[in-house]
Amino acid sequence: MLRSDQILATVEMIQKENLDVRTVTMGINLLDCRASSIGQTCRNIEERISERAGKFVETCNFVSRKLGIPVVNKRISITPISLVGAGFNRDDFVALAKSLDRAAAVVEVDILGGFSAQVEKGMTRTDREYIHSLPEALRESKTVCASINIASSQKGINMDALAMLGPTIKDIAEQTADQGGFGAAKFVVFCNQPGDNPFMAGAIHGVEEADTVLNVGVSGPGVIARSLEKLITSRQSDEIGLKLDEIAEQIKQTTFRVTRCGELVGRQVSDILGVSFGVVDLSLAPTPTVGDSVGEILHILGVDAIGAPGSTAILAMLNDAVKKGGIFASKTVGGLSGAFIPVMEDSVLAEAVGKGHLCLEKLEAMTCVCSVGIDMVAIPGSVDGDTISAIIADEMALGMVNNKTTAVRLIPVPGKEVGDSISFGGLFGASPIMPVRNVGKSSRFIGWGGRIPAPVHSFKN
Amino acid sequence: MSREMIISVMSKDRTGIVADITGAIYELGGDLADLNQSTLGGYLTMILFATFDEGVSPAMLREKIDAIDSPTTLDVVAREITPAPSSEDSELPRKTYIMTTQGLNRKGLVYGISSFCFRHDINILDLATTIMGDTYTMVLQLDLSRVESIAEVRSALDIYAHEEELQVVLQHHDLFKVTNEIPF
Repeated sequence: MLRSDQILATVEMIQKENLDVRTVTMGINLLDCRASSIGQTCRNIEERISERAGKFVETCNFVSRKLGIPVVNKRISITPISLVGAGFNRDDFVALAKSLDRAAAVVEVDILGGFSAQVEKGMTRTDREYIHSLPEALRESKTVCASINIASSQKGINMDALAMLGPTIKDIAEQTADQGGFGAAKFVVFCNQPGDNPFMAGAIHGVEEADTVLNVGVSGPGVIARSLEKLITSRQSDEIGLKLDEIAEQIKQTTFRVTRCGELVGRQVSDILGVSFGVVDLSLAPTPTVGDSVGEILHILGVDAIGAPGSTAILAMLNDAVKKGGIFASKTVGGLSGAFIPVMEDSVLAEAVGKGHLCLEKLEAMTCVCSVGIDMVAIPGSVDGDTISAIIADEMALGMVNNKTTAVRLIPVPGKEVGDSISFGGLFGASPIMPVRNVGKSSRFIGWGGRIPAPVHSFKN
Repeated sequence: MSREMIISVMSKDRTGIVADITGAIYELGGDLADLNQSTLGGYLTMILFATFDEGVSPAMLREKIDAIDSPTTLDVVAREITPAPSSEDSELPRKTYIMTTQGLNRKGLVYGISSFCFRHDINILDLATTIMGDTYTMVLQLDLSRVESIAEVRSALDIYAHEEELQVVLQHHDLFKVTNEIPF
C-alpha cells in the first residue's frame, strides 16, 4: 500500500482544500450541420449535440463518484458559430443561439461555448452579421457563451473589428441591464485564442480538432495556498530560512498532483464515451468560495495588498511553476494552462479593487505574466465604447507581441459607477466597480481602423 | 519431493533477526521463496515462504531457531502447506479502493470498520492506523470486486460514519496512484 501520509495528503486535497475537476468540456464539430435553411441547420445542430453528448453528464457523474473526486461542471464547446453559419444573417444567428440553448438544456450542461468568430486578419460579411447579433443573442439565450479572436501574433490586430466591439459590449450589457449587464460576462475578446481551452466563456472547438474531443480543466488555488502555508509554517523555526526557489518547487509539485487528478478523470470519461481525450488545462482558476482564491496565494507569497509592487513578479513565478508541474503530470497539456486573475470570480481580488489596491493599469501589467487577461472586470456603465475598445487594444497588443493568449471580458454595468458593486452570484461572483482612468481620450486612435500589422518576430517562414 | 512451509516470526526488534532466521533456513538446506516483514512499536514480525527437502519438518525448523543464541525471544510458527500456493497476481484488482477514516480514539474502531467490510463482502488488502493526539486515523486498501452495488456501499457507509461519529471517505485507488507515482 502507498504510504499513509501520502494517502491522507491526497484525501485532504479533495475534502478540505477545494481540489476538484473544475470542468470537463466536450468539444463537438458542427461544420457539417450547415443546411440550406436556418431551420434545418438548427435541427441538425440539436440532433448532433444530443447524439454526441447524450451520455456525457451521466458519465462524468459516474466517474466522479467512482474516484471520489468532484467534477463540478460539465460543458460543451462547439465549432465557432460564424463558420457553421456561413452566409446566414443577424436574425439567423440569434436563432442559432436559441437552438444551442435548447441543445444544452436537453443534455443538461450548464454552459455551451463557441458562439464565436475568428477575425484576426479580416471580417467576412457573415462575421459582421454575427457581431451584430451578439446583444440580442446573449439576451435571448441563457447557457450560450460567446467569444471572438481579433488578434494573433501571426496576423496582427484587426482594428476594424476592435472599433465595433467597444460599442457592442456596451450594447450587450445594456440589453441585459435587468441582470446587471450579465450578458457581457458571457463574451470574451481574444488574442491568440486556443482551440482547446475547456474554460468558459472563451471555450471553442477549434477547426483543427477532430469531430469530438474531451478537454479537462482542473483547478486548485486552495490546494496550492494550503500547501504553501504548511511549508512556510514548517520552516519558520529553521536556521536557514525558506527561499523563493523552494517555494516555486512546492508549487510545481502540488500542481503535479492536481493535474494528475484531472488527467485521470478525463481519460476515464473519454474511455467510457469512446471519445478521444484532448488536453488537460492545468489553470489555477479561482471561484468566489472562500479558500479558492489566486489572490490569496499572492498574499501568502508576500504582498500585503494585491496590486502592491511585487504582485507582477510573484504572479510570474506562480504562473511558471504551475506550468512546469502540470506539463510533467500530463501527456497532453493545452488550453490556457496558467494562473487566472478573473476579478469578480476571486473574492480576494475583488476585495483589493474595493480597497483601491488593485487598479486597471496594474491588472494589465499582471496579465503579461499569467493566463487569460483583463477578465471579469466590472467597470462603470458610463464608460464610452471607444475607451472600452482601447482597453481591449492594449491587451491585444500585449498578447500579440509576447506570443501569448490574452483576453478581455469587461462588464460595463449599466447605471453603476465607482463606489457601487455588482453581484452575479454563483461562479460568476461579485465585485466593486473598478475605476477607469482617462475615459474618453482614445477616440481618435480607435477612429483609424485598419490593422495593426503583425510584429516582426512573426515572420518565421 | 519437497516440502513447502509458511513461517511466521515475532520478536522485539534488534539487528540480526533476518540473518538469524534466514541462516537457520539455509543451514537446513531450505530455499527461501518470498518474505515480508514489518515493524510496529519496536517489535518486528516476519512472514516467509520456504521450500525444504522431504526430510525436514516444521518441528526441526523450530528447534533450529530455538538453538540460536538470541538476545530476544523469537516466537516462531511454522506450518507445512499442501498443495503449493499458486503464484499470486501482483497486480491489484481493478476495483481496489482506499478508505480513510478519522475520529476520536476509542475501543472498537478497527473492529467496527472491519466488520462493516465483512458484511459487505469487501476484502481488506492492507491496513494502517495512526494516532495523533485524540484522533485515530485508519487507512484501508480494499478489494470491492465482489460488491454488487458500490453506490449501496457508499450509502451504508454514510450511515455508518454518521452513527459512529467518524469522517469516512472512500475513493478509488487510481486517484492515489496517479497523484503519488510518476508513471501513469
